Amino acid sequence: MKNIFDTIFFTEIFQGLGVTLKHMFKKPVTVRYPYEESPIYKFRGIHYMNVDERGVSKCVGCYLCEKVCPAECIHIETDAGPNGERLVRKFEIDLSRCIYCGFCEEACPKDAIHMSDRYDTVDSTRDNYIINMRYMVENRKNVKGE
Amino acid sequence: MVTVKIDGREVQVEPNSTILQAAEKAGVHIPVLCHHKTLNPFGACRVCLVEVVGNPKLMTACTTPVTDKMEIVTQNEKLQKLRRTVIELLLINHPLDCPVCDKGGDCMLQDLTFEVGLTNVRFDPKPNDTPFDHTNPFIERDIDRCVLCGKCVRICDEVVNIQAISFINRGTETYIGTSFDQPWNCEYCGQCMSVCPVGSLNNRVYLFKNRPWNLEKTESVCGFCSCGCSIIVEHEDNEVYKISEDPDLGVNHGFLCAKGRFGYELINSPEREKTPKIKKSGEFSESSIEEAIEYVAAKIGEIKGKYGADSIGVLVSPRVTNEEAFLAQKFAREVIGSNNVFSFETVNALPEGTYEDVENSDNLIVLNIDVTESNPVLGYAIRRMGRKEETTLSVFYPKVTSLKRVATNFFTGKPSEVYEKIENFINGLKGDGEFKDLADSFKGAKKPVLVYNPYDELDLYYANEIKTLVNNVITVPCRLKNNSQGIVDMGCTPYYKPGYVKTEAQADFRKVLEDGSLRALVILGENPLLHPEYSDLGDILGKLDFLAVTDPFMSEVAELSEVYIPVSLFAEKDGTFTNFEGRVQSLNKTVDNGVISDLEFLALLSARLGVNLPKGIDEVQDLIRKEVPLYNDVDFNGGTVKYPFVLDGAFALKKVSPKGKGKFKVFPGSLRLHSGSFTRRSQDLSRVYAEPAVEINPTDASKLNVGDGDYIILKFEDTTRKFRVAVVKGMPDGVVSLPNDFKETADLFHKGKYLKVDLVKHNG
Ligand code: SF4
Ligand code: SF4
Ligand code: SF4
Ligand code: SF4
Ligand code: SF4
Ligand code: FES
Repeated sequence: MKNIFDTIFFTEIFQGLGVTLKHMFKKPVTVRYPYEESPIYKFRGIHYMNVDERGVSKCVGCYLCEKVCPAECIHIETDAGPNGERLVRKFEIDLSRCIYCGFCEEACPKDAIHMSDRYDTVDSTRDNYIINMRYMVENRKNVKGE
Repeated sequence: MVTVKIDGREVQVEPNSTILQAAEKAGVHIPVLCHHKTLNPFGACRVCLVEVVGNPKLMTACTTPVTDKMEIVTQNEKLQKLRRTVIELLLINHPLDCPVCDKGGDCMLQDLTFEVGLTNVRFDPKPNDTPFDHTNPFIERDIDRCVLCGKCVRICDEVVNIQAISFINRGTETYIGTSFDQPWNCEYCGQCMSVCPVGSLNNRVYLFKNRPWNLEKTESVCGFCSCGCSIIVEHEDNEVYKISEDPDLGVNHGFLCAKGRFGYELINSPEREKTPKIKKSGEFSESSIEEAIEYVAAKIGEIKGKYGADSIGVLVSPRVTNEEAFLAQKFAREVIGSNNVFSFETVNALPEGTYEDVENSDNLIVLNIDVTESNPVLGYAIRRMGRKEETTLSVFYPKVTSLKRVATNFFTGKPSEVYEKIENFINGLKGDGEFKDLADSFKGAKKPVLVYNPYDELDLYYANEIKTLVNNVITVPCRLKNNSQGIVDMGCTPYYKPGYVKTEAQADFRKVLEDGSLRALVILGENPLLHPEYSDLGDILGKLDFLAVTDPFMSEVAELSEVYIPVSLFAEKDGTFTNFEGRVQSLNKTVDNGVISDLEFLALLSARLGVNLPKGIDEVQDLIRKEVPLYNDVDFNGGTVKYPFVLDGAFALKKVSPKGKGKFKVFPGSLRLHSGSFTRRSQDLSRVYAEPAVEINPTDASKLNVGDGDYIILKFEDTTRKFRVAVVKGMPDGVVSLPNDFKETADLFHKGKYLKVDLVKHNG
């Protein structure tokens, strides 16, 4: 009996239309990339550096991240400063070689290097893929919740 | 031999060996921290505890001697737990600084923590936090990281014999420091740093520049002095980061001196030239290698055509390798056809004694040389010998040197007085005089050794006297530079062809320059202007028809040249050096700074002049074996050469007659860590003495109202010059010393080895 009713009045079609109608008033799940940023969680993107209370990078230049990096894309130079302190002269990551494995983050004993969720690495020249300490300290500001 | 069983493995060892040595032989690993094989057993850390079956107490493997049928267990649950606790206790106060600490990656404490499987310390950490000490120019000291193994204290005492550092205080307050916390002034040999298992003592020249896992290690030979120390060059890419040691290599038991250990930065020096230069109308302009060689060849060809082969000469420095020296004389004698191949090395005294002879000697005389400065590692051997009971070490030298602590007799005084004493000693050997007792003991010794300076005529005379009077004496001539011996062996002297074959024509460097018969000169690394004897020849050299100089640096004489070609240093080439014992050792190329070697220079130049000399190191070595009989069957990796004579020449007795007038007598001294030619290019060594200094005793200094580091005016004849003052104890009254191989001093000593001068305080 019920079947005949359904068949005659196409109730299932209306049910379907109802679902469609419901979704028309919901928030869209797609993102209009690249006009909009896509929200991404649990993603390993461009690195950033944590800073201490003075706003200086926490990195001490221990070379552990350089050593652990399987893509060999981290390049560090250190030296002794004027008062005999450990000084990071140069800290560069070649993003065009980085495989975003996150090993550097894992190895860092100073909680300095981390990976942000920024993935917009595209650039027009190779040189621009090389990021330095200042870039990474700045990049910290792009991290959610900071 | 006794038989012991270690972890089930049976080995036979010498009766006096320790459990650790036996374990090593059996191939069993026992962890250690405070043990070092060049030092006496100490037993401070208890990391090496092992169980001896049947003995209720645990034993330290590094100090306990084995007994026959001993059965030893090195690994079990109990020992593992104990070792873990030992490390745990060490870590309570240890600042876990590893990311910052320069030792990270090469640290015994890290390794041990890993080895015993320690992941969690049960005690509340109380890390120390004392400021770093930077009073030593070469060594950073952080007492917080110290594990009190005592290796530094022991090596400074047992080997270097300076006792600069020691344990201060007791118990948990103990730290390593200098007496009364004075600034850390010492020999700066860095031995303490080399044995420190943790990051308590660090190399300041290398400090924080790299990490051990990045560095490649290459064995080589030190290129500074004639001791011929084996070194490990640690490098990454084309940069030398560190010079370290290996106790198992070569003759030096892993000991180095400040020059060898800390002077290497001159390899990376920004002062080094990279491109050849040709002087046109008084100005140097850069050129390519081909162009420069072409230019030299053309000039030499032209002068040879005009004035004959004998108008061309080659001057060889003792910095070059045997292979280069061999090619240099071949170039002169065969390519040019002239016997004018010069060097400033003595040909009258050849090696006899070795380090072993020195260490095992029972009676040793150091004749008028500051050997701990001129040949530091030979100095350690002499100290070792002197420290033994029942040995006699006698030193004749104007001032008190650091051998004083171990010397049985130390004779000081004005240079003339020192020679009087030497004369008296000779008389003693002949049978009378005040030195008869010493002379008799020297004569009666089982292994008498004489260490002397082969560059001084008077010293040669006395050495020869002693050699004739005491028939079993072994002589050790202290040659100065890394290959001082080798270049003479290779025939870089007008008197001998390779292997001491006398030549007929015997030109004299000064004479051929002064009489104008020499028109063109090729200098390989030498700098006559820094040699007192030749320091006046600058004008003549500048006016030669042609002067070409190869040198790693733009030296004073290179400035005078028409063509200057920068060449490589010891870490940048292959070859061999022969040390003062006559020991031939190979060096290995580790880095490349984009400059050619003297070998390549000679080969290219000869090829351009129509003769093809071999260029590969193996080919040259084959040729040396063929053409230098002396080197025929010598192992180039540490073999010693058998020499045809020990002392040869007509040595005349000349009285010491100081030149000039004045109240103070000056003798040429060796300035700490330095000669003025090469080490001066090292910024780090220059931190100790950047310039030549007048050494004066405290009484004279206070009379002149000057202190350490002040300036003083030195008046010698018509010359007045300003020098820094170094106040040293042990300089006789009225006597001062001044190094003679600096550009500021070489010409002063041109008149004579000993001077009389007036000194006044410099104001302002
Ligand atoms: S691991 Fe951390 S502290 Fe060490 S160099 Fe890398 S970022 Fe710096
Ligand atoms: S001494 Fe060793 S354990 Fe101590 S901070 Fe340095 S590297 Fe780490
Ligand atoms: S550098 Fe040499 S002399 Fe100085 S404290 Fe260390 S071992 Fe002793
Ligand atoms: S400074 Fe180094 S070598 Fe000296 S006692 Fe301390 S840990 Fe040992
Ligand atoms: S003693 Fe001579 S060879 Fe040895 S490290 Fe010092 S300078 Fe080099
Ligand atoms: S190594 Fe044996 S007690 Fe330290």
